[in-house]
Order: sequence, then C-alpha cells, then structure tokens
Amino acid sequence: MTERIPVIEGLFTEGPEGPRLLGSRCVTCATPYFPKSLACHNPSCTEGRMEDAAFGPRGVLFSSAVQNYPPPPPAKYDEPYRPYAVGMVDLAEGLRVLGRIDTPDPSALRGGTPVELSVGHLYRDTEGRDVVTWQFRPC
Amino acid sequence: MTEVAVLGVGMHPFGKFEDKSVTDLCRSAVTAALADAGVSWREVEAVAAASSRFSGGKGWGLNGNDVVEDMGSTGIPVYNLSAGCSAGGNAFNIGCTLVASGLHDVVLVVGGEKMPKGFIQTSGVEEATDPEFLRQRCVGVSGPAFWGMLCRRRMEDFGTTEEHLAKIAVKAHANSVHNPYARFRKPFSMEQVLTSPMVCFPLRLYEICPVSDGAAAAVLCSARFARQKTTKPVWVASSAVATARFDDGITRHVAAASPTGPTLHSEAKIAVEKAFERAGLGPRDMSLVELQDNTVYYELAFPEEWGLCAPGEAERLVERGETGPTGRLPINPSGGFQSFGEATTAMGVFQVAELTWQLRGEAGGRQVPQAKAGLGQTIGLGGNATAVVLKR
Repeated sequence: MTERIPVIEGLFTEGPEGPRLLGSRCVTCATPYFPKSLACHNPSCTEGRMEDAAFGPRGVLFSSAVQNYPPPPPAKYDEPYRPYAVGMVDLAEGLRVLGRIDTPDPSALRGGTPVELSVGHLYRDTEGRDVVTWQFRPC
Repeated sequence: MTEVAVLGVGMHPFGKFEDKSVTDLCRSAVTAALADAGVSWREVEAVAAASSRFSGGKGWGLNGNDVVEDMGSTGIPVYNLSAGCSAGGNAFNIGCTLVASGLHDVVLVVGGEKMPKGFIQTSGVEEATDPEFLRQRCVGVSGPAFWGMLCRRRMEDFGTTEEHLAKIAVKAHANSVHNPYARFRKPFSMEQVLTSPMVCFPLRLYEICPVSDGAAAAVLCSARFARQKTTKPVWVASSAVATARFDDGITRHVAAASPTGPTLHSEAKIAVEKAFERAGLGPRDMSLVELQDNTVYYELAFPEEWGLCAPGEAERLVERGETGPTGRLPINPSGGFQSFGEATTAMGVFQVAELTWQLRGEAGGRQVPQAKAGLGQTIGLGGNATAVVLKR
C-alpha cells in the first residue's frame, strides 16, 4: 500500500471522529487560530491566553474559484496538471479557512453550500508517497 | 504644515525591456519628471523611493540609493520604502511628508520594477512557520485564484455577468489606445476578452493584469517653490497610508477568524476614507479615479466600498459606459493595470503621473473633461494600502 504522509506535520488529524484542523483559541476573547498561534492578535483582546483547539468538520462555502493554470512554486501538483477548485470556508467554530474543494464540477460550486472537512491527495512526492492535505467537500 | 505641489512627473513606457536595468528605467522616468518640473538634479533635496522586490536595489531594496548613484551622488538623504505593491504609494506619502513638514523644498519620488515572468511567486521561504509558504504548499492559491474567489462571490450577490467583467477590460484597452506609455495600445473586442483563456474561473486572461517592467517619478515641492516655477501647480490635497483591520473578511494566511462585518479590503477603505477626510473632499468631488485594477473585479468592488457609488450600482455604471473618461465616474482613464501590466512598486507613482496629466488637461484622447480632483489608490501584500487625492 502507498505510504500516506501529511503535507506538513501537526496541521490536521484523522482521528476516529474524523478529520479536524489543529489550531488554538484565545481563552480570553475566543478568537480561533489555524495553525496554532502563540499569541492572540485581536487588538481588542485584553489578555490573550491561548489553548489548543480542534476545528471542523462542518462549514459553509463563502466563495470559490478554479485554479485553471498550474500555480507557481512552492505549490506542488501531479503531472499532467489537473485544475482544482479552491475556496474560503466558514467553519462552525468561527474560522474562515482556505482549502481545496473536492468536487467533480469546480465551476458549479456556489457560495452558501454546506461543506465538510476531509483529508485528500495533494501530490505524489519523489519517493512515490501520497502527500495529503486538508480539503473540503460539499455535503 | 506647508502645502505640497506635484511640480513634475515622468514615466518610462511599460513593457518588457530585456536590455535595460531597473535603474535605467528609473533614470528615464526621473529625467522626464525633472524636465517637466523645470528642476535640476542638484536642486533635489531628498529621495523617497519604492523598494523593488524583484530587481536592483543591491538585493536589499535600496533602489533609491541606486537612483541617486546613477543621477550623481550629492549626499542627499534617501528613504527606501517597502510595502508590497503599495510601495510606490508609501514612497509618495513619505515624499509629501518631507515637504509638508517644512524639512525639504524639493523631493523626488520614484518607483521602478523589472518583473520576472509569470505568476508572482511568494517569498521563497520553505518553512512551516511562514504563512505564505503554507498557503501555497498546502492549498495552492495563486493571486488570480484569490481574485477569482472574491469575484465569484460578487457574481452571486449582485448578478455580475461575464459580460460585465469583459466590458471593463474593453474599456481599459479603449483608453490605452490614447496613452503612449501603455504596454498594450490596441482596442480589444468583447469577443476577444470572452474567448481569452480561463486563468482562474471566473477570471479570464484579459480580465487580470500581466506583469510588466516600468518606472514612474514625481517631483514634489513646497507651495513657495511651486509658485516660483508655475502659475498652475497641481496640489496634493491629501495622502494616506493604512493597513488591514483584524476583522477584515479576506483570509490573508490559511485561515482567519470569520469576519463579523462585510469589509473585504479594509486597508484600501481606511486609506481612501482618510484621504477624503484630510482633503476635505468627498467621493462626489472626484473627477476621476485611478485604482489598482489587478483584476477587473476591483473596478466593481472598490468604488462602492469607498462610497463612489451604491452597493450593486457598479455593474449598472459599467453597462452604461459611465466609467469611461467622459462618463459620470471615470475610472482608470490611463488604461490601468490592465493595459500597462503591473510593475508592482512603480504603480503608486504611475497613478500620480496620470492624475497630474489629467488635472493639467494634458491627457489627450483619454482626457477627463474639466478634471478638478482625482483619487489614486494602491493595495499591497502584507495588508498595505495607500490613497492620494490631487487637485487643481
């Protein structure tokens, strides 16, 4: 079986409850952060104590576009290049996240569509491993 | 604070110039600006320059130093300003401040760039702590995909059509025919735009700006100095710099707290509103606007975010041709980034040059009739934005 590795360690998990993004939240003002933040950046926050938090899987698509042309480095993709959808998703926890949208018809996506977090293929690395990242799919 | 005048402006044509350095492009723009102002290089008391990310500047963005060495080192102070695509606007702001404060009578502002081909790449840093690296490696969102997302949302909210988008591009190129400094100086048909390749759905190749080489310069001076040189100076009514707010709705890294309000480009909105306030002028007083049209989408979103028209009204203005030079709200009579291509850090100064020519009535076939006041605006990586209001 092909070895599966995350694009970057520690950004997401695929536990028994399903995929989650690993971030943090300010205990004082409840601002969510992904990836984890050492400090709260909310200028209205008075204290800014941080705790670990997991986000997902439910969200709503704010908007999307299609990356019709191969993006510049440091993006990576399999050859031959296949266009993919990218979107901004508002998670139920109050976090707006960028991610690829896993859909067969990228240009048919519409804002307001309910989506859920998943983990999927990003590219195959030089050692033949399946490099995966967080993404969303309409649900 | 003393009043500040734009005494002279100059530009090097935009395009691709394999055999010229960025300093060569700047020399051409600076020499033209000095001649336009009737000022010699030795009269320049300070330089405020945009730091190039891509070319010259000794690798440290010291492009102002390159210009001073090239023109002849006179020992004057140089300020190199870095603010992504807003750097030209930042340099203009500092140049104005140096004159307005009374510190200097004559200050040169310059921005120039030689751009690498293709999509603009990010920092090149491959570290998990670098937000730009994460965004590109984990998701892969080019600049045009970002604009595509914003445009797509607008199409759903306001019923913007592909024809609206194309019409803005057609207008830009119709203006550029009359601008000797533009890179693309030919008209485009609706069909040409609508059949150009899709770069990032819903945006096509002719609806986003390419990258170009180019340079622009402006000579700023005090009111006292200006009155010795000319009877019809162009005045800096205001210049403002801003950065994005925490509650902005655009995800600049891989994630941000979901916004509580509708603001998408808070840095630009803050800069423009500050510029209006300081000028004592409002949206209705603007004879023309030179805004940063990296994509045609911005010509729809920005005017209403700044109160130049009502939400959803921008498409109607485009339909009726009201954003052309003789319309109700002339936008980018220069031809804009669509026709010039973006020489990133030069653009804030490029806008000042166009506004100056328009306010003097020297813009030829793209002239806005009886232009009295104009707004220029930039927006750049890092949440930077600038705005300038010039008036007769």
